[in-house]
Amino acid sequence: MSEQLSRRGFLQSTAVAMGAAGIAAGCASESSGPQAKDPGQAPKEVFTAPTRKLSGSLSILMWSHFVPRHDKWFDKFVAEWGKRVGVTVRVDHINTVDVPRRAASEIQAKQGHDVIQHIAPFSQYEPSVLDMADLVQEATRRWGPQLELCRKSSYNPNTKRFYAYCPGWSPDPGDYRKSMWEKVGLPNGPGSWDELLRGASEIKRTTGVPCGIGLSPETDSNMAARALLWSYGASEQDPNEKVVINSDATVAAVEYMTRLWKQAETNEVFSWVPASNNQALIAGKSSYILNSISAWRTAMGTNPKIGDDIFFVPALRGPRAALAAQHVIQQWVIPKHAKNADAAKEFLLHYTANFPAVTYNSELYDLPGWPSLVPQLNGWLDNDPFGAKPANKLSLLKTATSWSANIGYPGPSNPAIGEIFNTNVLPTMFGRAARGQVSAKEAVAEADRQINSIFKNWRARGLVGG
Amino acid sequence: MTHARMRRGGPPAGPPDGRFRPARRSKPGLADREGFLAWAMLLPSVVYIIALVGVPFLLAIAFAFSDVTTGDPSYDFVGFRNFEAIFDDRVFWRSLVNTVVFTVITMIFIVLLGKILANILVADFRGKWFVRFLVLLPWTTPVALSTISWLWFLDSIYSPVDWVLRQLGVIDTNVVWLGRPSAAMVSVIAVQVWRLTPLAAVIVMAGLVAIPRDIDEAARIDGAGFWRRMFEVTIPLTLPVIAVAGLFGAIMTFTDMTVSYVLTRGGPTHSTDVLASWAYFRGIEGGDVGQGAAIALFLFPILLAGAIAILRAVRRLESQ
Repeated sequence: MSEQLSRRGFLQSTAVAMGAAGIAAGCASESSGPQAKDPGQAPKEVFTAPTRKLSGSLSILMWSHFVPRHDKWFDKFVAEWGKRVGVTVRVDHINTVDVPRRAASEIQAKQGHDVIQHIAPFSQYEPSVLDMADLVQEATRRWGPQLELCRKSSYNPNTKRFYAYCPGWSPDPGDYRKSMWEKVGLPNGPGSWDELLRGASEIKRTTGVPCGIGLSPETDSNMAARALLWSYGASEQDPNEKVVINSDATVAAVEYMTRLWKQAETNEVFSWVPASNNQALIAGKSSYILNSISAWRTAMGTNPKIGDDIFFVPALRGPRAALAAQHVIQQWVIPKHAKNADAAKEFLLHYTANFPAVTYNSELYDLPGWPSLVPQLNGWLDNDPFGAKPANKLSLLKTATSWSANIGYPGPSNPAIGEIFNTNVLPTMFGRAARGQVSAKEAVAEADRQINSIFKNWRARGLVGG
Repeated sequence: MTHARMRRGGPPAGPPDGRFRPARRSKPGLADREGFLAWAMLLPSVVYIIALVGVPFLLAIAFAFSDVTTGDPSYDFVGFRNFEAIFDDRVFWRSLVNTVVFTVITMIFIVLLGKILANILVADFRGKWFVRFLVLLPWTTPVALSTISWLWFLDSIYSPVDWVLRQLGVIDTNVVWLGRPSAAMVSVIAVQVWRLTPLAAVIVMAGLVAIPRDIDEAARIDGAGFWRRMFEVTIPLTLPVIAVAGLFGAIMTFTDMTVSYVLTRGGPTHSTDVLASWAYFRGIEGGDVGQGAAIALFLFPILLAGAIAILRAVRRLESQ
């Protein structure tokens, strides 16, 4: 049969089809995000000659940004810098959840990238990374004071070392579906935890759509747990790194979460991965979540109608405060094994100097750790360059530094706090009480035992005070 | 062993002068030495086991008695401090219980389903090879990849399983498989059973085809029906193989963290954490390599005891 497909023909046509699909997917990805209204608003990049002669190569390991535009810009930006200063630069973007294990293996093997970037506190690597004090001093000399939450996320007051360099961060506002909250008399979304309980319960009762504060072993649930604790006046540690979790305020926060889950949530929040709350909000299966602006940006590109219905509120007021955890905290570390630490430090200064471009190309996701760096920021937040409706939808982020805190607040982001975060002690504490597995007091006592044990362990290594 | 070379078609031809000379023996080469060959063939496996099992195992023992962290590889001996810490940890005991529960239930199901599947696969029917290929797919697919597929199957919002059940009118709202402790445990066990049953089936199938046909035929002639032949001929004769299948399944479930990690990350509230996943959380994500190693090491004596018990039972069965 002449029509019969030969093996060679089959392979060729398959390859062509896959190539075409790849190109189509690439195009889809390109056009899926919001486009700048006026590309001319993009800030001009600046170049300052390095203070010393650079050569050789520089390898960078970093996350794949949630905003694809950023990585495209970054790779070009770093390559151009390398050309100008005579350094061959290689950038490896990997999934953010893979960064810690990759960093751990490189540190153990004492070889690998010259610079590693992560988006959560990296304090446990202090013994194996360079002190960034000189870099922070230089940046502070050039651009004024660094944000407190960035400093607390990169400085160890016990060893007096900067284990990381933190030029940027992202806030974690509340994201809500306006059309749902209008119907319960709160068109501007909830302003306090009490309003959240009242409004979200009413929405669930009338429409069946639950609230989306996670209780799962993942990042966003950890952020939410801390926001709730701080708003009730509770915390894991005090400013001097003494464990203070076992308090009446913590018990009250846990009791609140139990009420919220029972009245306004479902079992879903126990099964979530970091992307789940975004998906739920966009799918109309959640009335309120705590997250960055990236989910909304995605919706703007893929489903503008839903994107336009998503609005933001700052940290919810509790009995004692209105605080939210930072969503992303930039942590750039230079391992002691780095072969080109000079180039790494020069590049980080160049990167910081161009933070307006970082903010712009991350579609206002990354905010500066040295606020003076991006004088255009408030203008962008009042008049979104990427087509937000209304244009000032993000203007609440102008005050984000006043309602955001570092992981470990009111103390520093030390390794004990990191282990508590990564082993999900707080979501488990809230979750066990919510499910009725233990009482609120017992859940707090259990968490207290675990947290004390973790602190004791890291204190023995001299990395944690208290 | 050497062989005198012989010319085809008769005895070796003598020299032209007619005097007899003994046939020249070729010197034995390395390829002729069985002892050498045996070691040469085994060497890759031995190197592999030493490098990828032996060395990490010894490292785990060393780390379990140290204060090594992900950020500080320097070694300081701390005695039993890590073990004391993990014994005081409620999550460790929960993980240990979960590990045992998951292993026992998974083992029972994979032996049962593996036996049934093996019986089907040895039967003669059209498309048998295609069915065998399909059955083996779960085993040949990388575990992380197949578990991610299951994560989507069991998603709280977009689960196609729930969609089908809703369309059939079995449920009104999504089950949320991974959001309830009991449903999450069932899900983890089901995925383990799904991925390990093909292996058990292939092992049991090898045992089934090795049963001499005359035994089965003799039983038929004596009037034994399917169930009688199954319980009095087939199962007793394949019991050692079934035990090996169970042992493999048990070891693979006991040491696996992928299914639990990918599906639930140990949640809700640690109800699906197993020793391997908790070791990973403490050791790598939490940064305390010493405690992570101590938790991981705890797998070894339990696994060793279980393996010895099953292998002893197999030997007893074989000698009967």
